[in-house]
Amino acid sequence: MADEDLIEGAVRTAEREVIEISIPGSVDLVVLARFAAATIGARAGFDLDEIDDLRLAVDELSVSFGPVDAETRLRYTFLRDGDAVHVRCTREPSDEESDGGAGHSERDLIDWQQARELSAQLLDELVTRHGREIAGGRSVAWLTKQRGTGAA
Amino acid sequence: MEGSMTSPPQPADGALDLPTLEVHGELDLAVAPWLRDQLDALYVGGADSIVVDLSDATFLDSTALGVLVGALNRSRERGGLVHLVVQEPQILRVLAITGLEDEFALHQDRVELQRRKGEQ
Repeated sequence: MADEDLIEGAVRTAEREVIEISIPGSVDLVVLARFAAATIGARAGFDLDEIDDLRLAVDELSVSFGPVDAETRLRYTFLRDGDAVHVRCTREPSDEESDGGAGHSERDLIDWQQARELSAQLLDELVTRHGREIAGGRSVAWLTKQRGTGAA
Repeated sequence: MEGSMTSPPQPADGALDLPTLEVHGELDLAVAPWLRDQLDALYVGGADSIVVDLSDATFLDSTALGVLVGALNRSRERGGLVHLVVQEPQILRVLAITGLEDEFALHQDRVELQRRKGEQ
């Protein structure tokens, strides 16, 4: 089952729960996504190293979008499904809908090509699987981390 | 932004005699532009090697790591090194995953750095 279907169709039980947060494209708010990742990782029974890995991996999902302005929102959906955590980060509006213009400010100072390459290396090691896709016209970056797997 | 501090080049009888930047807290996209500015400042005097003290840093993502790689390239162009003082396992793990642990000069603490420099 695709991660999107898995999350959309999730019924909350003791083993399954969904947490959603939506934040403006402000660089100092991604910490909220990291906090949510740590919390749901703990609820999935991850050990401390796995929680640290999940926090970093969720941070890296936002990097995959490159510069985003204050008009953009990043919507994170976390699904805890037994001992696995699925995360989808959706950029709203999409790249095409965004004016892509003013407001990037300090994000423009980042070498995004290099950051993306490093980010991909990190995600390969930190999570069970990850990817990018277009869903409903929106850019989505997603990951799955299974407890007891990965290089943690 | 997390707390941070830049120190000017230290005298030879101090802990270090290289331009040094101390950073603490979580080094992410929110901090990366600031980090780049601070590192740029270290090279203004013509330094080839610098020290980035991450002893009190707890998190490093790809954007901040990219800034450190930029400094590494700059130092190498001048025949120098970037010394990282780092103990945090998660940061060491990031360096290992990206294959950069052998590119930077890593030290557990400033005492070790000073000792290694003394041996050179």
